[in-house]
Amino acid sequence: MQLLDSTYQHQSKFAQFCRSGEYVAIPGVKEKNIGRYRKLIYNIVDDSLRSTYPLTYDLLEDQEWESLVDEFFSSHRCQSPMLWQMPKELMDYMQETDHKLLHTYEFLSDLLLLEWYEVEIYMMEDKAIPTFKIEGNMLRDSFVINPELSILSLTYPVHLKNASKIISEDKGQYFVCLHRESETGKVQFTDIKYPHIELLEKLSNEESGFDDLLEIFQKYATKEEATIALSQFLNSALKSKLILGFSN
Amino acid sequence: MVGIGFRKDFSDEFLLGNALKPDFIEVAPENWMGIGGYWKKVFKEATEKYPLFLHGLSLSVGSPDKLDYNFLSNIKKFIQEYKPLVYSEHLSFSKCDNAHLYDLLPIPFTGDAVKHVANRIKQVQEFLEQKIAIEIVSYYTPVAAEMSELEFVNAVLAEADCDLLLDVNNVYVNAFNHDYNPKEFIKNLDLDRVKYIHMAGHTKVADDLIIDTHGEAIIDPVYELFDFSMQLIQKDVPVLLERDFNIPELPELQQEINRLKAIKTKALKNTAYATA
Repeated sequence: MQLLDSTYQHQSKFAQFCRSGEYVAIPGVKEKNIGRYRKLIYNIVDDSLRSTYPLTYDLLEDQEWESLVDEFFSSHRCQSPMLWQMPKELMDYMQETDHKLLHTYEFLSDLLLLEWYEVEIYMMEDKAIPTFKIEGNMLRDSFVINPELSILSLTYPVHLKNASKIISEDKGQYFVCLHRESETGKVQFTDIKYPHIELLEKLSNEESGFDDLLEIFQKYATKEEATIALSQFLNSALKSKLILGFSN
Repeated sequence: MVGIGFRKDFSDEFLLGNALKPDFIEVAPENWMGIGGYWKKVFKEATEKYPLFLHGLSLSVGSPDKLDYNFLSNIKKFIQEYKPLVYSEHLSFSKCDNAHLYDLLPIPFTGDAVKHVANRIKQVQEFLEQKIAIEIVSYYTPVAAEMSELEFVNAVLAEADCDLLLDVNNVYVNAFNHDYNPKEFIKNLDLDRVKYIHMAGHTKVADDLIIDTHGEAIIDPVYELFDFSMQLIQKDVPVLLERDFNIPELPELQQEINRLKAIKTKALKNTAYATA
């Protein structure tokens, strides 16, 4: 026996009310209590979005945030059974609908991307960590990169400046690498440029040592400058665990 | 066995200290599936120390939509990996018109809904190759009811041939909100199917409405209803203390666990069952 259309309609109206707050009479429903469901559900969704996008929440006016959450939850059909993954759908929804707030705040799409990726990298499933040794010779040994990373391309420096301080003149091309420290699980952000991207890609694909990496840096600078810049980057990456260590 | 709902909020103190010693932990698989990093490590540590029970949130057995076999398949993998002693879900719907709602909505108590929900539970059990326990949820309004809640619950249990997760607090809340006798309700449930019991606190928000918040300590009338239930069930079923919000110091939770154990032991002392 299939669910009767009338039963489906009652459930659909109930669910639609919870998503939009617009009530259409349903037989037997206590009207004074059904609002509790809308409130409980709205709070769950709102809390989840606020905790994923704290900087966006701080940036927007209260009215802008509330309208956004309300519009998103009532117009969009949330697909993820896992609540922690649902906020990604807000970012996608705003892109797909070319949301007006993306025009009000021209850097907002970058900010949402950065905030979502922090959650995604923090939560993502573990990747196999290759064996490595902490101590090594910078000039002779190959480096082992942390596989739990992601590189984002941004138009505004949302990873460098407070969102409220970003101005149109900041528009440009920026890259940020997010990686998860395997011991603590914390996500670290590293502002990077072209040679670093190439370096990270090379290390992700093949075992490479100082001289291999220097070739990349020399495309952008003199040998002397490249050597200094590479040494600085490698030291910093080893410290932040973006590079885990040296191959055995 | 008396367990605790494992929360990220108190995981460090719980795992590092001795203030809270449950017999098992329960989690919602939706919060722990497909993750890595810090929380995966914490979860692994917790499951190495304590037996695990799973209590799902998003399967939505009462939904008019088709069952999400992709999601169910992930649940099955999670079950195979962590081997929980029980997997339970709610007699409610949390998805409709292809949209997740992230809360538990009441199913209309109708004959066609009984058949529909029972059929879906059967499909789930077949897919998972195990029985599941279904929880009677708290609700704040009926929806187009054609039968009583009791008739609906018993009919679904019989038709689906599934186990029952008896949430004593939910029965108390529903009895208050919908003006029936909670003891009569419990007495007339198919208690042979009780596989698992939930206990929790609630919040009274109006003279005629209680919300099932899991944000307060269990109140005495709910302990009494638990005692009453155990006298009838006469089986050593596992019991869970749920506390999701407004979490107190862990020794306070341990006191609640101790009280639940004492009630259970007393209720079963004249039976052949030993309590754990």
